[in-house]
Amino acid sequence: MSPEIEQFLSGMKKTIEEVVMPNLTDRFAQEQAGIVAATLGFLSTIQDKVFHYELFENQEYKRILQDVLTTLDADAEKNDAICVVVENVNKHFLHDNPAEQTAFRPYPFIRGSNENMKEFLCEFIQLQPDMPTQVRKDFEALLKPFFKSIETRERSWVKGLGFDPEAEQQADIGDLLYENEYLRGTKPQ
Amino acid sequence: MPYYTQTLKDRAHPGHAWVEKIRTRYPVERAIDEVLSRKLNRRSHSAAHRTDFEHIETRLLDYLRATTAQDDIAIANLSRLSGGASKEQFTFDLTWRQNSGTSDTRKLILRMDPSESIVETHRLREAQVLKAMWGEIPVPEVFWCEPTEEHLGHPFLIAGFLEGIVQPEGGDKASGLGMYFEPELRNSLKDQFVEHLAHIHNVDWRQKDLSTYDQPRSNSTEGNAWSLGWWQRVWQEDAIEAHPIVENAARWLWENMPIVENPVIVHGDYRSGNFMYTKDQRINAILDWELSHIGDFHEDLAYSALEILGTPLENGEVLTSGLMPKDEFLEKYEQMSGNIIDPKRLVYFEVFSYYKAAVIAVATSLRTSYGSKTHLDAMMNLISGFGYISVSALQRALDKV
Repeated sequence: MSPEIEQFLSGMKKTIEEVVMPNLTDRFAQEQAGIVAATLGFLSTIQDKVFHYELFENQEYKRILQDVLTTLDADAEKNDAICVVVENVNKHFLHDNPAEQTAFRPYPFIRGSNENMKEFLCEFIQLQPDMPTQVRKDFEALLKPFFKSIETRERSWVKGLGFDPEAEQQADIGDLLYENEYLRGTKPQ
Repeated sequence: MPYYTQTLKDRAHPGHAWVEKIRTRYPVERAIDEVLSRKLNRRSHSAAHRTDFEHIETRLLDYLRATTAQDDIAIANLSRLSGGASKEQFTFDLTWRQNSGTSDTRKLILRMDPSESIVETHRLREAQVLKAMWGEIPVPEVFWCEPTEEHLGHPFLIAGFLEGIVQPEGGDKASGLGMYFEPELRNSLKDQFVEHLAHIHNVDWRQKDLSTYDQPRSNSTEGNAWSLGWWQRVWQEDAIEAHPIVENAARWLWENMPIVENPVIVHGDYRSGNFMYTKDQRINAILDWELSHIGDFHEDLAYSALEILGTPLENGEVLTSGLMPKDEFLEKYEQMSGNIIDPKRLVYFEVFSYYKAAVIAVATSLRTSYGSKTHLDAMMNLISGFGYISVSALQRALDKV
């Protein structure tokens, strides 16, 4: 279907920058129009990757939560609060099964599932003081590379917004999401 | 947008029981509790923020006539100010009789809360700290403050307008972040920048009228606990998605919180963009006091020196607030304030400052835009870019501790 989203966005950006902004006399309105133009420019760089960004996170959160459940299995006497979260994660996996093909689900389903999984992981993080020493250490060891992956990905996602003093050092988001023309971790063997 | 979880639904439409749960779980100073609770209680009931100001002149005039008891008071040249990321700001010329009995015209600034702001703060608190600082360091003179919604529909403060420069010509940086000053200007401003901060920290706040500020006990964690509690509560009220890095940082900050031996007035947002200077290169105003509180001086130092708020040079060096290298900033501060910097606490507050920046620029900025509650919805979305850089910097700081 044409035009592609990119064409809509670049058309709007050009109109705002070349037609609307030069004819605005109010400074506040000029400032806000500039922000709208900058936003449109940013959207054109990320709009074709939004679905795969969420899909990638879906895989990542399923993986970390499965690893966390395995780690927590070592604690035979889990406290009640941790047991509740474990139960909720297992229930959620009946709804969005890690073994099934999430890529065919609609965007809101994936986004919603991701948000639920983020909340579960945050609840485990809050409950760290209730974990036995070794379990907590193992849990922290799982989180470390996971956090690295999040912060690298998010920073790449927003680098086009112009706030990052180290923007040139951040990878392009496409390079983080894709490998050999597939979403990372999804290429058929 | 759909509510993907019960938590997100509660945040979008906070019920009484949920608000009370939040208040109990995250204790903060009384005045902060007042504004945060008001924000939550209004969230479901108020419509999108209106950005027109058709009736503001009439309402402002009514307020000023009533508060001064002067029927012949006159307003002229009311106009909206650009710049800034939190309050709606207007300038106007006011003609009224002074205490001396003579009539005078002055240019004033009106700072008014939008329906929800990127930082929800207390106008009376801001007025009190500005009055406390009047005569100590250069600040705008406060004339009137109205902490309720009765007169203009939103709380507001009216202060003297100062002529000066916030950003060098061509600066164009959102909220003054990463601003570039020419070397000569840097040399003129940097000592003043540190000197004013040192002075703020040496003001005897117990001798000032700061009744809206809770007073933390010396040699306790109270000041730091209120400060962290503030931002943790804001995260829990405003975030539009859960974030494991931010959650983990809050846990680390609670587990590693230092005590404060001698609490001081903390500005809370001391950086380029929040001071103004004259053509002859004198700082003539320290601005934006709305995040001030009483706590640990290391908090201001760590915040001012955050790399993401600084200005990178071509050689890779990052200048604190665009003015000087971090080591020079800290050395000058010790000399001028007499305070001894504890490197461990500086690290703690570096993590704290990134956490706070993440809360403001990821959670609240996006929440205000999500609900169409401000005059800057497009900008609030854009600012999340700064927020995710803060989250990244937060995690990198935690990796080092």
